[in-house]
Amino acid sequence: MTGKVAIVTGGGRGIGRAVVTRLVADGYKVVTCGRSTRPDDLGYQVDWVLGNVAKADDAARIVEVAAALGPVALLVNNAGVQVEKTTRDSTDADWDLVIGANCRGVFNMCRAVLPGMETQGGAIVNIGSISGHVADPSMALYNASKAFVHGLTRSIAVDHGPNVRCNAVCPGWIMTEMAEDAFALASDPQAAMKDALARHPVGRMGTPEDIANIVAWLGSDQASYVSGVTFTVDGGMTAASPLNPGLF
Amino acid sequence: MILKGKTALVTGGRGGIGRAICARFLREGATVYAADLNEAGSLGAHDEDGTRFVRLDVTSEAAARSAMAQVGADEGKLDILVNAAGIEIEKTIEDTTLEEWNLSFAVNVTGTFLTSKYALPLMRAAAKSGNSASIINFGSYDGFIADPGLAAYCATKGAVHALTRAMACDHGPEGIRVNAICPGYIDTPMLQSFFTGDGSGAGGKPIGELQQAVRDVHPMRTYGTPDDIANLVNWLASDEARYASGQLWVLDGGLSAQVQQMRL
Repeated sequence: MTGKVAIVTGGGRGIGRAVVTRLVADGYKVVTCGRSTRPDDLGYQVDWVLGNVAKADDAARIVEVAAALGPVALLVNNAGVQVEKTTRDSTDADWDLVIGANCRGVFNMCRAVLPGMETQGGAIVNIGSISGHVADPSMALYNASKAFVHGLTRSIAVDHGPNVRCNAVCPGWIMTEMAEDAFALASDPQAAMKDALARHPVGRMGTPEDIANIVAWLGSDQASYVSGVTFTVDGGMTAASPLNPGLF
Repeated sequence: MILKGKTALVTGGRGGIGRAICARFLREGATVYAADLNEAGSLGAHDEDGTRFVRLDVTSEAAARSAMAQVGADEGKLDILVNAAGIEIEKTIEDTTLEEWNLSFAVNVTGTFLTSKYALPLMRAAAKSGNSASIINFGSYDGFIADPGLAAYCATKGAVHALTRAMACDHGPEGIRVNAICPGYIDTPMLQSFFTGDGSGAGGKPIGELQQAVRDVHPMRTYGTPDDIANLVNWLASDEARYASGQLWVLDGGLSAQVQQMRL
């Protein structure tokens, strides 16, 4: 697949960075973007566009940069934000931030890339979340935004086949800097980690590379009959009841 | 009295949830047959409650045929069938014997199949009145997500969910609606046995402490009562639910709406 063009939104760090690294290794020419300046440790072969996917003009510009390199074969909508609040406590600014990035951003990118992809063929992989299926407490807008991503994924698959496939990946707990901070702040970090591990049938938390693996597969020809699905990669966590008497 | 004039049969009718359903059906004006292995059922001795008792081992084809013959002779029709009889083996597949596995399927799945199979002619007769007849199966939230050490139970409930949709497709044209209730933690003898049983995770903790911990994981901060289940069964049994069929009705106080809670 050498030379195919891929766009990964939010590839500066975390899951997005792992996806960028994997796609480069797989031979893609990768364009990524973020709201801050290019990270120093980003590989030289990766193009960085300063832009906010929540803005339609920025999204169009990101797609233009990629399309100049060749037909966009893969779009990975990874950029997202979370605000840890209930519905009652969420402000208009919170709404604009979360819905802007997680919903409008995914919509903007898909809309910008679809005209080319429908003629040239390609795949879209959206990063949804287990939180779009079941609720994390005090994450109201985030949970809802991810359910939007799942719904849009199905709509694009239905409306824009056969040349475009569209799927979503639903990560569980992935150890990114954000998650590490959360554990560090726990009253008893060791006990918190032990409890968290016990809730994962595979006996470990996820890594960004675990998500990059499934994104790469969904983008590949191995997945040429896969469209409109939301695949959960969470170490088995959501297969189990939230009520686990063994952990009381 | 939204079930006035209707005839109902409830399997496991003398058990925790079954008895609450029978009591509710009676209050709503139905003629109620409580079917169970014996008159006392899993709750033990009880006062005369106005139900008609039918001896029924749901795993026996002959028993199913004879129970329905009795209802047919007395009533000539059956408007409502509730397949509430069920058992739970608290083991992983490695520890489950073939006998336990087969018994789980015999009661929870085959029982639903046999009772429904022999009820169908009476239910078609009821549907001729112009009102739909209603079958309510017992699935479980465990048919969607797993509790540890409950493998055979989870598998049987998944089977009941699929069977519910299949029956709804096949018998909808005959005026028979089929739905499943999927309870979460409900205060029944089965739940109390789960709290005290080996391998349930009680780990020697006082029951009261364990029960409180279970309540605290629920968004509603309580687990359910058999009456909570009877409320929805009653609605599904009634003509209010005339357009409801083929669905799995989760009733768990919000338990399965949430992700596992990390202790941060």
